Amino acid sequence: MNWRRMAGLDTLEQEYAYSSSDTTGYTSAKKIPEKWVATTCGYCSVGCGIEVGVKDGKAVAARPLTSHPVNRGKLCPKGLSEHYVIDADNRLRYPLLRKGSKLMRVGWEEALEAMVERFRSTQAKYGPDSLGVLSTGQLVTEEFYALGKLVQLGFGTKNYDGNTTLCMASAVSGYKQSFGSDGPPGAYEDLEQADVILLVGANIADNHPILCQYLDGNPRKTLIVADPRVSKTAMMADLHLPLKPRSDLALINGIAHILIRHGLIDRDYIARHTSGFDELARFLEAYAPSRVAEITGLSEELLYKTAFLYGRAKAGFIGWTMGVNHSTLGAATVSALCNLSLLTGNIGRAGAAPFSITGQCNAMGTREAGFTSSMPGYRKFDAASDREELAKLWNIDESRLPVKRGLAYPDIVEAAVGKRIRAMWIIATNPLVSFPNQDVLRQALSNLEFLVVQDGYHPTPTTELADLVLPAAIWGEKEGTYTNSERRVSKVNKAVEPPGEARSDIDIFLAVAEKLGCRKELFGGWSTVEDAFNEWACVSKGRLCDYSGLTYRSLVSKGPTQWPCRAGEEPTPRLYADGKFPTADGRAKLICADWQPFPEQPTAAHPFVLNTGRTVEHWHTRTKTREVPILERLSPRAWLEMNPRDAGQLGLRSHDRVDVISQRGRVRGVELRLTEIIAPGQVFMPFHFFETNVNEVTQSAFDPISREPNYKQCAVRVERTARPGAAWQ
Amino acid sequence: MAHTAKVSLNANSNVAELPLLESELVCIVAPARRSLIQLAPETRAQPLIPQRPLNPGEQYRFHFDMTKCIGCKCCVVACNEQNGNPAAINWRRVGEVEGGHYPNAHRYHLSMGCNHCLEPSCLIGCPVEAYTKDPITGVVIHSAETCIGCQYCTWNCSYGVPQYNPERGVVGKCDLCHNRLADGMAPACAAACPEQAISVEIVNTAEWRADYLSANAPGLPSAGDSISTTRITLPDSLPPDTGRVDTQRIALEHPHWPLVFMLVLTQLAAGAIATLWMMDLLGRAASLAAVLGAAALAGVSLNAAMLHLGRPAYAWRALKGLRRSWLSREVLGLSLFAGSAAAYAATVLLHLPGRSAAGFAAVLFASIGTLCSARIYMVPARPAWNARYTIAQFFSTALLLGPLFVWAVDSSGAGREWLTRAAIGGATAQLLTVALSFLWLSRSEVLELRSSALLLSGRLKTFFLLRLALLLGGGVVLPLAAHSGQGAIAALAVALAGEIAGRWLFFVSVVPKSIASAFLAAERAL
Repeated sequence: MNWRRMAGLDTLEQEYAYSSSDTTGYTSAKKIPEKWVATTCGYCSVGCGIEVGVKDGKAVAARPLTSHPVNRGKLCPKGLSEHYVIDADNRLRYPLLRKGSKLMRVGWEEALEAMVERFRSTQAKYGPDSLGVLSTGQLVTEEFYALGKLVQLGFGTKNYDGNTTLCMASAVSGYKQSFGSDGPPGAYEDLEQADVILLVGANIADNHPILCQYLDGNPRKTLIVADPRVSKTAMMADLHLPLKPRSDLALINGIAHILIRHGLIDRDYIARHTSGFDELARFLEAYAPSRVAEITGLSEELLYKTAFLYGRAKAGFIGWTMGVNHSTLGAATVSALCNLSLLTGNIGRAGAAPFSITGQCNAMGTREAGFTSSMPGYRKFDAASDREELAKLWNIDESRLPVKRGLAYPDIVEAAVGKRIRAMWIIATNPLVSFPNQDVLRQALSNLEFLVVQDGYHPTPTTELADLVLPAAIWGEKEGTYTNSERRVSKVNKAVEPPGEARSDIDIFLAVAEKLGCRKELFGGWSTVEDAFNEWACVSKGRLCDYSGLTYRSLVSKGPTQWPCRAGEEPTPRLYADGKFPTADGRAKLICADWQPFPEQPTAAHPFVLNTGRTVEHWHTRTKTREVPILERLSPRAWLEMNPRDAGQLGLRSHDRVDVISQRGRVRGVELRLTEIIAPGQVFMPFHFFETNVNEVTQSAFDPISREPNYKQCAVRVERTARPGAAWQ
Repeated sequence: MAHTAKVSLNANSNVAELPLLESELVCIVAPARRSLIQLAPETRAQPLIPQRPLNPGEQYRFHFDMTKCIGCKCCVVACNEQNGNPAAINWRRVGEVEGGHYPNAHRYHLSMGCNHCLEPSCLIGCPVEAYTKDPITGVVIHSAETCIGCQYCTWNCSYGVPQYNPERGVVGKCDLCHNRLADGMAPACAAACPEQAISVEIVNTAEWRADYLSANAPGLPSAGDSISTTRITLPDSLPPDTGRVDTQRIALEHPHWPLVFMLVLTQLAAGAIATLWMMDLLGRAASLAAVLGAAALAGVSLNAAMLHLGRPAYAWRALKGLRRSWLSREVLGLSLFAGSAAAYAATVLLHLPGRSAAGFAAVLFASIGTLCSARIYMVPARPAWNARYTIAQFFSTALLLGPLFVWAVDSSGAGREWLTRAAIGGATAQLLTVALSFLWLSRSEVLELRSSALLLSGRLKTFFLLRLALLLGGGVVLPLAAHSGQGAIAALAVALAGEIAGRWLFFVSVVPKSIASAFLAAERAL
């Protein structure tokens, strides 16, 4: 008991004192650091420049890096409080090995010994592909590059994928179908230069708020937002298209139909740079406005308006995120969006792009340098020339490179259910929150003989199930590079030391390689992270994602830079400016993508369509943001949005606690929010909260091409369980 | 393609009107929702702070542009970082209002710091003059050093701006980052906003006083309470039903236990002294024990109120604000009451002269003190308190408990009949007060008043019924039925419990005015 405080003689003046410094101005004294370390934000793929303030070896402040070209001196609320994720109670400080039923602290030596020994023995017993690896979009590119080599060549398993498959795999697949390669063709500045911006299933005001600055900087634009929910972004729109859930592909095909019928297409561009127009035109005959109006629930007038606006645009920009990607028709829908750009020649020019706004800070990095859905440098597994080139670069026998992709994330889980995968390594991701239909995942993990989870935090729902938990350094504690949505490579820097015995992920990978006996062969000559970057830059040379003109030094002297950046050449803000595409014939493909209803339609027993999404305060599975008190304060728990008309029929009120029930499971005790921003017949819930995990009810339905889950629509019913807060009536 | 042509995008036009030939195509891109789309490109570059010094008759103020805000809450985070506040204290808050029907529904956000009012109610109420309105900038500044943590400002502000920090024992609030402004830097909130929705501008105070309509917005209390200076730019087409989203769950307010006891016990003492003095005047010998007991209670309960303060060591400062603050006046009035009650007791104990004069003084100060107590709570920011029922309630407590106390202490005295009648009178007055005020609350159109009634008849129903039962039992039934000393003590105990319950309800069931909060705003702990 502090008697001076009780008496009021002590008001913590020191703690609450203000002071002034040249770098901060007048501010809370405890927030004035000794130094600022410039780096890149570790949350989303907008890729904002950020400075971490360090005092006494601890991160005490975060602020925008004003010189960074992306964020223009601003950050979102997560970025502004990002320093809190570092010095959190939940940080994992030591390796933990399960002995009996308990996770016990062990040394690194014992931990790595156990890991390699168990993985090796499992592979020896069940075959090399019995090891599954699930990684992330959270590491630095150098780490992805190292991990890919370690997994595919060191451990020799193909069954390696990232949580990026839960996120933007559909964009990757769609781009590959249409353009012959992954790689978002546009740039953020296009948002300022476009006169028509069509956002489909993208709630950037909640999910990429810093991009809204670019919209504000463009007073000439017409913003069209297609979203079944009146999201914050829909509210910003000049024209909101409140379409029925997952009718986006029909809408896009319908727009293309009108464009073609009314001659709002660029015939010259189509003739010179695309293939498949005639088939597409014939295919689109089935998407007459009357039919599309019926499918989408939009009036024909709105369809015409949208098509005319986009078709008449001098520079038409299309942006999308998870509304499109989280779908069994994700890749098809992405290609349909690319069709719109190609038909109107809205690609490769200022303001004109079909642009996938990516999710994680370095999802792009793993797409480029990882070894999951393609080989490093967007090299194709099935292209002999790509394999040959890579084998030569790595100085290995070509036969060691797989000729086809291993299992994708959901198929790795499925294989574990079927006991074809027997051991697993999960890195910097938390599937016990993020994977759809959790029952299947729990079944899969319980089948494993050995599960290693590498994370910065413990406990998380996933680390709790692990046999071995490896403590990793996180953002702010290590060096490397991130690539953002507009292909801009930014330097990531170390501000503070990792806690306890935690080590950077690349350090862990190299130590594993050492134990495995392949360090010298695969990572020979690497002593710093920069060595990894330089090797990767060399491997990327001549590819679409060409890093060969980039060095750590240039990323500092010239600032964050967009690829392709060939040595001695200026970096390119946009891809495909010359109309040449990385396909066999150099032309982009117009894809005929047929709309189908979403797989699980509502029934009498499960009458609502459940939509899932995010809130601005939290990041993905909340492993980090739940450590940030102010974000928890602003967004303390999940909620379920329901239209008052539905609630009236069910006798429900705001703040009632409800269970959300699907055929697969039940989310218990979610707080109900009645609001007109959700359509009757639909409900919405954020997915960040493990306490009320929406993925207990989502379905195991995956895009046949991209393998991305159809998170966005499943059939549920809603039952009231309690009425606590509102108990006055 | 011809881009000069124009198409009407009137929402009511139908397909048939749309031209099908390119040559007919006309395209006016009508901004459906946000008027800012028509603004010049340089909007972005508008400075966030004034570019010239203030002239006499002017002050700084916030401008909040609701059409720009996307509800990202960067301002809240930046403010907390700027001021080193814990997460539970937010000098800037973001609320939500909603209107319309799907798909023409709209949610807007309200980001509010301090409004640096022309008539700052926090400043007017402060007993220790911890608040100043800066004569040059107009910024309402709070001094943590001067503050004693009485939290009266938190009851006075209609916007809920000043917030008590229990860790420090003092209140704190937004000071418009005036120290940053002085260095030519924007306040943390404005600097952090990615949408440039918050800025600081100069206002002519006389002109603003004459017309402050733009300080009003859906989800905000009327700016008239204190003449808020914050200017709010509202969207052109606000759905007519746009309103708060936080009305379905009302948090109970803090019970302030030391104040519950201080108020009830000082009122008991006041009633007891008045009863004794009256008996004295009527020639009935006053019970010495009752006089001493009442005087002691007056002193002890006043001091007990110090437990309410964040900084009890500086309680004496509460006398500084006599010119303006009812709290200062209460402290003075009740101190004089305690002093004169002690003097009265001394005259009785020592058979000194001037007994009736001392008694009169004690009764006078008791009345003044009780009136001041009631006036503290009669603030526009707390509508359920801001009524004469508060005065009636406090005096009825005195009228009920005073006679019961005297009777209980000296039940053998001859005044039983007289005392029980007085107590029943007090109980009747209190029952009437409670009934009428509940009727008033439940029939009100005012959100805060109706919400108080809903709390009393819903979530607090058991307590409310218990309070009425205790009042009836201790104030009417027992005084009529009891004839023994134990009966008298029981009546006092029951009635006292009833008044304590009533005062607890008084504190927890008040619904303060405040800015609309977010739907999931953390509920205040009870």
